[in-house]
Amino acid sequence: MSTPTGILAEYRAQRAVSKPASRTIKPWYQNMPLVAGAIVVGVLVLIAVLAPVIAPYDPIAQNLQETLQSPSSEHWLGTDKFGRDVFSRLIWGARVDLRVGFIAVIIPFTFGTIIGGLAGYFGGWFDIIVMRIVDVFFAFPFFVMIIALVFIFGAGESSIYLAIAIVSWVAYAKIVRGEVIVAKEQDYVVGAQLGGMSHMRILFRHIGPNVLSQAIIYAMSDIVMDIMAIVALGYLGLGIAPPVAEWGSMILEGQEFITTHWMQATVPGLIVVVTSLGVSWLGDGLSDLLNPDRRK
Amino acid sequence: MIRRPGTVIAALGAAAALLLSGCSATASGPTDDGPVSGGDLVFARATGVTSLNTTTVHNNVSIFTAEQLMETLFTVSDDGKDIEPWLATGYEISDDELTYTVTLRDDVEFSNGQKLTAEDVKFSIDQDTKTADTGWGYINEAIKEVRVVDDLTVEFELKYVSSPFLAVLTMFSNQIVPKGYAGMSVDEFYENPIGTGPFVLDEWKKGQYFKVVRNENYWQKDKPYLDSVQWNVVADVNTRKLQLQGGQIDVDVQPDWSSFDSLNETPGIVAKAFDSTLSWNIAFNQEREPFDDVHVRRAIAYAVDRQAIVDAVLFGNGTPANSLIAPGTPYYDENADGPSFDLEKAKAELAKSEYPDGFSTTLLISSGNTEKSSTAQIIQAALKKIGITVEITPLGPTTAHDAVLAMDYDMTLSGWTMDIPDPDQWTTFAVDPAGGSNSDNTGYNNPEAIAINTKAKEESDPEKRAELYSELQRITGKDAFLAYLYYSPYGFAFSESVKGFHVTPLGNYHLEDVYISE
Amino acid sequence: MLHRLTFIPSRLLQAVPVVFGVTLIVFFMAHLLPGDPAQAILGDKATPDAVSALRTQMGLDKPIWAQYFLFLAHLAQGDLGMSFTYQRPVTEIVLQAIPVTMSLVVFALTLTLVISIPLAAIAATAPDKPRDFAVRTFTLIGQGMPQFWVGIMLILLLAVRARIFPVGGFGETILDHVYYLFLPALTLAISLSPTAIRSLRTSTISVLGSDYVSTARSKGASGVPLFRQHVLRNAAIPTVSVIGVHLGYLVGGSIVIEKVFAIPGLGSLMLDAIYARDFPTIQAVTLFVGIFVTFVGILTDVIYTLMDPRVNLAAKGRA
Repeated sequence: MSTPTGILAEYRAQRAVSKPASRTIKPWYQNMPLVAGAIVVGVLVLIAVLAPVIAPYDPIAQNLQETLQSPSSEHWLGTDKFGRDVFSRLIWGARVDLRVGFIAVIIPFTFGTIIGGLAGYFGGWFDIIVMRIVDVFFAFPFFVMIIALVFIFGAGESSIYLAIAIVSWVAYAKIVRGEVIVAKEQDYVVGAQLGGMSHMRILFRHIGPNVLSQAIIYAMSDIVMDIMAIVALGYLGLGIAPPVAEWGSMILEGQEFITTHWMQATVPGLIVVVTSLGVSWLGDGLSDLLNPDRRK
Repeated sequence: MIRRPGTVIAALGAAAALLLSGCSATASGPTDDGPVSGGDLVFARATGVTSLNTTTVHNNVSIFTAEQLMETLFTVSDDGKDIEPWLATGYEISDDELTYTVTLRDDVEFSNGQKLTAEDVKFSIDQDTKTADTGWGYINEAIKEVRVVDDLTVEFELKYVSSPFLAVLTMFSNQIVPKGYAGMSVDEFYENPIGTGPFVLDEWKKGQYFKVVRNENYWQKDKPYLDSVQWNVVADVNTRKLQLQGGQIDVDVQPDWSSFDSLNETPGIVAKAFDSTLSWNIAFNQEREPFDDVHVRRAIAYAVDRQAIVDAVLFGNGTPANSLIAPGTPYYDENADGPSFDLEKAKAELAKSEYPDGFSTTLLISSGNTEKSSTAQIIQAALKKIGITVEITPLGPTTAHDAVLAMDYDMTLSGWTMDIPDPDQWTTFAVDPAGGSNSDNTGYNNPEAIAINTKAKEESDPEKRAELYSELQRITGKDAFLAYLYYSPYGFAFSESVKGFHVTPLGNYHLEDVYISE
Repeated sequence: MLHRLTFIPSRLLQAVPVVFGVTLIVFFMAHLLPGDPAQAILGDKATPDAVSALRTQMGLDKPIWAQYFLFLAHLAQGDLGMSFTYQRPVTEIVLQAIPVTMSLVVFALTLTLVISIPLAAIAATAPDKPRDFAVRTFTLIGQGMPQFWVGIMLILLLAVRARIFPVGGFGETILDHVYYLFLPALTLAISLSPTAIRSLRTSTISVLGSDYVSTARSKGASGVPLFRQHVLRNAAIPTVSVIGVHLGYLVGGSIVIEKVFAIPGLGSLMLDAIYARDFPTIQAVTLFVGIFVTFVGILTDVIYTLMDPRVNLAAKGRA
């Protein structure tokens, strides 16, 4: 599990020791993390999309005559305390957790990148104010802020998006600002400025593509973090309301039976680990692909 | 072990308490050579004591704890059906049934060494009566005057004949405290009360634990056996269970029904379901549409499969409810025919209502309680079948309670345990809008039901009372102002070395009888 | 050495607007909440007159900026209001919980170092070899495990099955605390280690490639002594900043973990307050955590400067 501040610090440490490019860019199919990540994430996305087709049972249909069954050929992972098929709930859970995880990064990504880009490019008082705001947000641990905000906005999916947007944009702003400051000293930008090109064009044409790759790489870690947040909220009973199948609330419900049916809390957690691993690999792979000189 | 509620278990429990033998369930347990002094008992339960002022506090956790510090004139028998003298030695009733003369024990001292007198009794009862608007005072409604006759004699004059009166004196809100709160203000006093109970308060860390130590001045010689009792707040039910298994605590209050069997099979642990007066219902807010429509309420009452809830949520440890009154209460009518599961009738009733195609509504529950959230989810699924969409809204226990009091809800899960061995406390609370709670916060107002309830209260012939209460149970069932769900026993799991632990159907326990063997 | 500490005053000065920002956010959180605080305190049965009297008394009828200054004035006196649930000053309740959470955090930090330093060394001494790959895979998996789930799994394995550790609680004596806090601290350490390992590994690789390590090698130093004397100190520098940054994360993580292990710290306090909608308590915990993290940030910078001769924060400010 990670945090924006943590990833940033790590990122800073890595930059500090980054060596000049010593390798050539490998073709994508030799980029193991990228391939592995793409496969894992691809399969999960496919499962989520095809959930109605592949799930053997309705994930919320109760069958109170068949509660807490052990795994069998009918119910591969058994049934929960309402007699719902755990395997089907896992599959439908992918829909919720992946959807929320991926959608949640969109707003902070966009907003943070724009604010950070502008702050880095123009500097001055705007930069100072933005950076002070960023400092303030970094003062609150990710979870403290998310939990407090979801509490204020009320449980539910849109509250989660809003809370994550409010907390996460600062990390993008900080990364992109740093990249822009470096990029704007580059010859081609200075040249464009001297050539009379407008600020907006320079930002979008020349600086944008270069700094965006960092934001995209960070977004992968951010997705993992958001999934962690959704799962934790579900576990705390502050997430998406029952009876919707969601991995975090499945762990919560399974915890009740930890001494008798240990699989119920274990399996949804394993799926979360696999998902995060896939997205992290994807992030590592993208990082190799987009700036090979910075890794390791 | 018999875990089904019923008279059998109550009788067993009573016998156990009498013999002080604890009735150990497994043969391999430590041998029991009778009560031993010493030892510390540690409970773990989900919530903590919020207040010790028993004239106003409404939660059972606080009440059952305060009962270890302060006592009443009369108490309820172990089976919950009879009334026994406690701080009193006995009573006489005048011919017109309007005056009760109560004599007190002469050997009772408060924990500060002060002797118990009739003056203290008058003060205590009067103080409770004054809380009619803010607390339990309404329970003393029948009392006209309390008079001190001599040091050990008190006279109660009633406004009208009231059969439940003696039961009222067993009520925790009528606990006896020193006159004038021993010179303290009410608030000061209840921070560290002086009572006649077997224990005195040692340390109270709000939200964490509550610890009492033995009262050296206790009037029952050689009791209590325990040196101290501590109630820890452990919100998570799994943690409580695992702490019991790990020997960190001795008593787990309300283990999950799901792990009840497995707990009982754990060596050294006894899981016991005590017969109770606890019933759970769906309460409808009749001040709001569509619940002002009797057909809507009946449709919902018919739509829920109670046996399924008992099986899935209580894991069989309970019975489907059919009446306003719970089986552990006198005058429960087993033939009271409250709505039971019948999907066809549910659909027919909804068709007769103004919402034949269903509607959307909310079900308010208090968060962090597995039993309630599971019940709510089953209700949600059941009502979906007749076209009613339910959104479950979990709120913190305090907030949920406030919302219900403010009539700011659609449906909620409402539970009740009797506090006195007489149905009147509950029926007046539930069907009489003037009974202290706006009819269990439903807004239910049926003049016929109110009239029968009043008549039953004033009737002294038990047979006639039984008839009246049967009639009341029939009418309230038909009105479906509550949808009766299930009767649940009290689940406790405790270490085998804990002996003499018994819970009455009213939920209280006499810890002065408890001891730890080995 | 001393002259390098001259940046501390300016660093503290920088923290001032941040602390103000923190108070501002916490203050506005209260105003985002639906409902009237006066009504919430008095309950639903209060008369409108009583509510409006309390509103005046609490300053709720004043303009918002005036209310903010009132909030700051109370804060300066350590007054954050009364907890709705416990009817006691919130400050008192929070102060009671702080030592519990702090001991958990310090314990977790210690375990994190115990786990991370050897693993990072194993990986860094053989970059891109199988053992490096193994450590890196561990960090990826560790990063992907929901913290509370790790806690549940540790309970399942070490408390329920093996019965080595208690399943939760805090105990009464100091020795109890250490014993009770081991599993929760380990849980936090497992989830923090991946970040620490990654950063330690990166910096160790860089130190191992540096000139003076080559020099030390050429003088015959090798193995553990070389590692301890020459590599570790230099490699630890970036780690200090990572750990500093993560103290805040540990405080945040302890919220969920305290629930899993039933530890009576800030996290349990905050979650219980959330379930009970006890706003003053939520506000106080959030405020404390925000200010704490800000000052840990400063402390980290100080230690960073003291350890690393190359850093001169006095000249550059915070990177």
